[in-house]
Amino acid sequence: MNEFVTRLGATIRLDNSLVAETRNRYFLLSEDLKKVLSEDFFYAGIYLGKVKGNIFFPSFNLLRMITEGEANKVTVDEKTEWLFICGRDIFKQGIMKVSGSKKKGDLTLILNMHDESLGLGKILHALEEERKGATIKNILDIGDFLRRER
Amino acid sequence: MSPKEFFTDRYQRLGWAYSSVEVRQAIRINRSNIEQSSLIKRLESKGIKLERIPFLENGYWIVKSKFSVGATPEYLLGLYSIQEAAAQIPASVFRELKHRTVLDACAAPGGKTVQTADLMQNTGTVIALDVENRRLAALSNQLERCRVKNTVVYALDARRASQLKMRFDCVLLDVPCSGNLATDKRWFLRRTIKDVQRNAALQREILTEAAKVVQDDGEIVYSTCSLEPEEDELNIDWAIENLDLQTEKISLSYGERALTNVFGKELDDSIENCVRIWPGQTQGFFVCKLKRRHSRRS
Repeated sequence: MNEFVTRLGATIRLDNSLVAETRNRYFLLSEDLKKVLSEDFFYAGIYLGKVKGNIFFPSFNLLRMITEGEANKVTVDEKTEWLFICGRDIFKQGIMKVSGSKKKGDLTLILNMHDESLGLGKILHALEEERKGATIKNILDIGDFLRRER
Repeated sequence: MSPKEFFTDRYQRLGWAYSSVEVRQAIRINRSNIEQSSLIKRLESKGIKLERIPFLENGYWIVKSKFSVGATPEYLLGLYSIQEAAAQIPASVFRELKHRTVLDACAAPGGKTVQTADLMQNTGTVIALDVENRRLAALSNQLERCRVKNTVVYALDARRASQLKMRFDCVLLDVPCSGNLATDKRWFLRRTIKDVQRNAALQREILTEAAKVVQDDGEIVYSTCSLEPEEDELNIDWAIENLDLQTEKISLSYGERALTNVFGKELDDSIENCVRIWPGQTQGFFVCKLKRRHSRRS
């Protein structure tokens, strides 16, 4: 998880004694929850993400927590917000603001105009470059909540 | 007699003339995540027209929307939930939820769990139970989407809640039920009185377990979306008689006092403290608040 957070140009401090794991899924507990939690839980507190085949898959809660601090962030306009949550990549003209890395290959958080986290993208071309076509690849977006239920 | 004639005749005898209804779509604003006024402004700017539901604190009817309210960024960000108006009532009738220990015994798909956590402002603890991985996954998705922080989910049958070895200040029993014709157009084709009786028996088992795990001064809120008295008033009459529980008055400016006479059988007078809602603007619903009559001997 820490490696993933670092790739976003961010740091996050979690009290390890409050992190619980079940079936390779990780959760952050409050002190109250920790007191009542038994081993066979299914879900607890704040879901942080899961590990599958040595790869960490972040939750939207974790992305939101990272958004609160310094990190690679790209803010998009309302039309791009909609396209992104439909699973589409991001074009340069939809980008309103960039914080942190603009480098090709880096991961970045995608935010809407209200600074709310919409998901995660990978920079396909340096963000200073003028280019046609997709600039940021959609890695994960909140439309996933609908896709999961299908 | 067709099933439809059988059931509508029963409703007539209970005081409701059957008519087909169109339930209004409703949302509930998750106040832990956004101010009401901000969300209303955002949705209205997208062409979604809302009307406040007079008997709910955070509920709004959708008056007009050009697209599905279940696919907006605001929905996916957990700023609101789609929750039928009557279904928003049970969690809202607890006296106080903040900093409490709450059991949501039949929690999936999680609408009321999220609402309860929101009313608690994510303080205290909610223990949410359900069975089947598919239902638990749906519940977990809701919790993640709505940024709930104070809830633990277990794959556990509500009838085994005492295995948790916990006592609860508040117990929400939105029990599995036969449903009603307002939300299921094929209801009359799918349901028989045997289903109703089977569900009523299951509900009694869940009530029995709830009575074991509620604190001496705790509250149980029992609800169904069934119109059938076997699952509503008759079960509460049974609980008063057998589980040392008593009803508490629910103050609500919607619905009717529950029935104290069902098909000629006189029930405990205090059942009129419960609320029965016949289908109309909302689906049909029954809500009852219960407390322990006497403290348990230690």
